[in-house]
Amino acid sequence: MRRSTVVVRAVDGVSFAVDEGTTFALVGESGCGKTTIAKNVLLLERPTQGEIKFEGKNIHQLRGRELKEYKRTVQAVFQDPYSSLNPRMQVKDIIGEPLRVHEGMGGRRLQTRVGELLENVGLNPVTGGFFPHQFSGGQRQRIAIARALALRPRLIVLDEPVSGLDVSIRAQILNLLVDLQHEFGLSYLLISHDLAIVEHMSHQVGVMYVGKMVELARKDEMFSETLHPYTKALLASVPRPDPEIPMGITISGEVASPINPPSGCRFHPRCPAYQESAICREQDPEWREIAPQHWTACHKVESAVHQQ
Amino acid sequence: MTNGSTQQEKPVLLDVKDLKTHFFQRQGVLKAVDGVSFTVREGEAVGLVGESGSGKTMTCLSLMRLVPRPGARIVGGEVWFRDQNLLELTEAEMREYRGHRMAMIMQDPQTSLNPVLTIGDQVMEPVKLHLKERGAQALERVLEALRAVRIPSPEDRLRQYPHQFSGGMRQRVVAAMGLVTNPELLIADEPTTSLDVTIQAQFLGLIRDLQREHQTSVIWVTHDLGIVAQMCDRVNVMYAGRIVESGEVRKIYKEPQHPYTKALLDSVPIMGNPRPRLYQIDGQPPDLRSIPTGCPFWPRCPSVMDICKEQYPPKTPTGGDDFVHCWLAEK
Repeated sequence: MRRSTVVVRAVDGVSFAVDEGTTFALVGESGCGKTTIAKNVLLLERPTQGEIKFEGKNIHQLRGRELKEYKRTVQAVFQDPYSSLNPRMQVKDIIGEPLRVHEGMGGRRLQTRVGELLENVGLNPVTGGFFPHQFSGGQRQRIAIARALALRPRLIVLDEPVSGLDVSIRAQILNLLVDLQHEFGLSYLLISHDLAIVEHMSHQVGVMYVGKMVELARKDEMFSETLHPYTKALLASVPRPDPEIPMGITISGEVASPINPPSGCRFHPRCPAYQESAICREQDPEWREIAPQHWTACHKVESAVHQQ
Repeated sequence: MTNGSTQQEKPVLLDVKDLKTHFFQRQGVLKAVDGVSFTVREGEAVGLVGESGSGKTMTCLSLMRLVPRPGARIVGGEVWFRDQNLLELTEAEMREYRGHRMAMIMQDPQTSLNPVLTIGDQVMEPVKLHLKERGAQALERVLEALRAVRIPSPEDRLRQYPHQFSGGMRQRVVAAMGLVTNPELLIADEPTTSLDVTIQAQFLGLIRDLQREHQTSVIWVTHDLGIVAQMCDRVNVMYAGRIVESGEVRKIYKEPQHPYTKALLDSVPIMGNPRPRLYQIDGQPPDLRSIPTGCPFWPRCPSVMDICKEQYPPKTPTGGDDFVHCWLAEK
């Protein structure tokens, strides 16, 4: 068993843990709540119910030194490398800031460490004197990663880390993230809507729909033994870069609003398995472990298993 | 997708020859489109794929003669739409084509709709302007277009404003605006980038159905190799303002000839068939103000040779309408 870095537990029994040195991916469409969870983990928002635990303690009750230690341990890389870097700061100051604030580092030591971090992410240390606008999107994302690495964190929240980048640059950043994970034993909480990237990067996957997690499994299981009809629809909707594999049959309807979600199972208005059954319309499906470490919330899942 | 072999006998609808669109800036000339040639046959879906700055959007804006002015200018080439070179038309004559016989769906449905006009008025505009229809007849045509893009209860939706529509529905309205005149050519410039996965799948299915039904030719501009694979018969791969490889999708995805095409295909994760490591194209796409001499891809090319640094590779035919610009193929 691996040790977990962070455990997220919602009120309805849904919980997941980001294991040490692995990647946990949260997938879903807009409004599914994946970014909200990330913000909660980063202490940018407070959950109204449920809790997030780090080393057995609720992160929103941490104070003083423990709070500072948590903030050092958990870092983030955001989607847009154009707005996440201060345009008026030199790169060496952007990367050096957390070191000055948290570790009181300065002078020659700081300079050496910043140079090291730039090398870790594949940038030339002499570029430390440049400003963000002198870099391309991919290089900026490298700077953001270097900043996240500065305090030797254990968990990095990756919020759509490559969606703003060109195809050829995406591969560079994804490979870099995988290398850094191995090198430093990092855990990642990956927020993404791109299932191909999720499959490539992650060890565990949680699929969310309108504020709730609908399926949770090991990566291989999620993609081969898919249980929830929503996950199946998501997988079928991806246009694969192979003309020999046509797209599957997708679902109709729009993503429901989290402000006024449908009754019962939130997915029922779009669900191909719904077929007017009252239970889906009226009852919130229970979160159950269908196979070892494979959880889902769907009234129809057992029958689906039998049919297969 | 239609069968590749039957496509070749179809008549050519659009023939682009050596198109050049340059930006004239204080810092120098930026060659956004630098000698692009390709054809689109009737009923064919053609992909223009490339990274940002490769010139794919500017190529399409040039076809529509909508290049941003001042700044950019079409400096050379021909754009044959059936037997008419669009670049020789006056602005008034061009309006007979643009929005009527050829339409464009832009990337962002947020900005391509007017927030203070109803959906009905906006879809009506090309009907009045180009088809010269009025009253009940025009209204029926608008409703038909909204129905075709599967907007539920179009009679009510007509009177609503863009903000009352979701992102996916807005993009359908934009598609309805483009398709209401039943154009021969539809240019779709990354129309699904802002949409969710399931909504994107719905939109792609919709366009494919409409294309089959009306035999519309479509140019898909995208960086998403998945969309090209699913939606297109042919693909043109662009790099630094030029088409470096062109061919049938099935053939190119199986056996890419150009190292850039191959690198692109190897650099994306494929769902259901994961690779341990993604192929990585090192370096950056070139700065269009200072494109390297020779083949612009040579500084990033894994199979670079001496000649690549000196001369741009000639067009090498690879069967049918297909071609590649690479010294490897020339050898």
